[in-house]
Amino acid sequence: MPRKQKPLAAILTSFSLLIASLLFVLPIVFCIFTSFKESIEIIKDVTFFPHKWSLVNYDYVFVRGTKYLTYYLNTIIITVSSVAITLGLSSLAGYSFAKLPFKGSKVLLASILFVLAFPLAAILIPIYIMEYNLGILNTYIGLILPNLLLILPFSIFIMRGTFIDLSHELEDSAEIDGCNVPQTWWHIMLPLAQNALVIVLVSGFYSVWGEYTISKTLATKDSIMPISVALTLLKSEDWNYGVLAAAITMSIIPPITIFAIFQNSLVEGMAAGAVKG
Amino acid sequence: MQHTIGERRKIKEMWGWLFVLPTCIVLFLFVVYPICYTSFLSLCDYNFAFDKKPTFVGFKNFSNMFKDKQFLAALSNTLVFTVFMFSLLIVLSLAFALLLFHKKKRSWFYRTSIFMPIVVPASLICLLFTWMLADNFGIINKLLINIGLSRFTHNWLTDAKTARWWVIIVSIWGKVGFSTILFLSGIQSISQDMFEAAEIDGAVGWKKLFYIIIPNLSETFVVTGIWAILQCLKLFVTPNVLTKGGPGNATLVLYQTIYNEAFLNFEMGYASSIAFVLTALVMVFSLINLKMSRREN
Repeated sequence: MPRKQKPLAAILTSFSLLIASLLFVLPIVFCIFTSFKESIEIIKDVTFFPHKWSLVNYDYVFVRGTKYLTYYLNTIIITVSSVAITLGLSSLAGYSFAKLPFKGSKVLLASILFVLAFPLAAILIPIYIMEYNLGILNTYIGLILPNLLLILPFSIFIMRGTFIDLSHELEDSAEIDGCNVPQTWWHIMLPLAQNALVIVLVSGFYSVWGEYTISKTLATKDSIMPISVALTLLKSEDWNYGVLAAAITMSIIPPITIFAIFQNSLVEGMAAGAVKG
Repeated sequence: MQHTIGERRKIKEMWGWLFVLPTCIVLFLFVVYPICYTSFLSLCDYNFAFDKKPTFVGFKNFSNMFKDKQFLAALSNTLVFTVFMFSLLIVLSLAFALLLFHKKKRSWFYRTSIFMPIVVPASLICLLFTWMLADNFGIINKLLINIGLSRFTHNWLTDAKTARWWVIIVSIWGKVGFSTILFLSGIQSISQDMFEAAEIDGAVGWKKLFYIIIPNLSETFVVTGIWAILQCLKLFVTPNVLTKGGPGNATLVLYQTIYNEAFLNFEMGYASSIAFVLTALVMVFSLINLKMSRREN
């Protein structure tokens, strides 16, 4: 017997969901609309919709305001490198934890889990001192390496979870065919772990893209700041909401687009990672 | 070349080590060593701007802490925020998850909207909210005027009471999607048979929630609970961008005091000891959460 939903319950459900969704979506839409307004309109009379659509703010960000492009580029460099390194490290370590057990590998795995619980604040003070002494404060490498902490543990769990589900027979037959361990990993196992790699890539991307605390601490020079930190500091000197809105819009569109594309696998992966972790 | 089983295992173990080695190096340099150094620094007097080397002072930092008004305000704010934010996070995300579970068809828009904030850079959202909440030209005040509620307009972020609430609201805005995902996947993994059996027994609506769904979510509650506790205690971005801890100390949190002491005053020793306290709080709360959920089992 097919279950029939009571119409009232169905309407109430949809209505509550609609209200909730609007609360999440409207601020973003407001930001996007503001970015198309001229500054006079923003200050004189705030409305949700622009009276006149204008590209003047984007013109400022891309053509005249070179510093915005610098921030944007910094974000891209830091994000791409951190995610690329994480893909490499986590697919190696995840494979090791899943298929190549060694003495102490369980303890090591548990201690990586422990890392997740540590507040960054406790770690950032020594990192700051260390990077100061090494002279890598305010450099890309000095920002990329600490960002790995943010995404590496989770990624290792995702990769391990995937590799552990792959059958042992694959390994054995590869071995019979004369593959050594790295060859098996590269030619046989990694292609089968594509879904997990996508999850690591996407979740790593948006974590680093929007990262604030690390960059706020370790990037004090304008020329190296990612957009997530730089814009919050601009506020007082560039009191131009239209330009800010355009810059914000430009930096929230990439993660939202990627999320919309990969939503299903990402949501599953995040849930699985959190439960296994 | 043929290997014996023992040799093969040896080779695999060696590769196992080699595969985790790069990760270990990164984690050692950027986690293990820093944690040890913070523990040491927390017992030292070390002004990074003036002192060449840390000087060992024992537990002086910890005893000073309880005379420090900033620290005490931050500690109490952190605990208060944690209580409110934690409860709201859990209740709201469970509610969203149940609604999404109930609405099986055509839910793409709702799901995307609720989950989307987790991928949006938090600091930029806070920036957006600061001007939506602005006194003169903020859209929220404007909206209140337009619908005839002008007496409710407010300078939201300069009044201690409302500033606190907005810090909580904006933080939840950005985080609730993740816990909703966890709850939703927890509910979805409850077997369909159980629901059907319950329906035959006459469990509908609220009964289904309290007798079937919630008891079967204990594992999810542990995971989500620990995650939520971490988010609350590690609160930094929202108060930092929205209010900078103000007005006065109204939204000052522990994380912010660590930041201020370490990177504005360069009191690395004192900042480390506060970081130590925060870490201890995280551990204690996670353990409480774990114990409570275990007992319910």
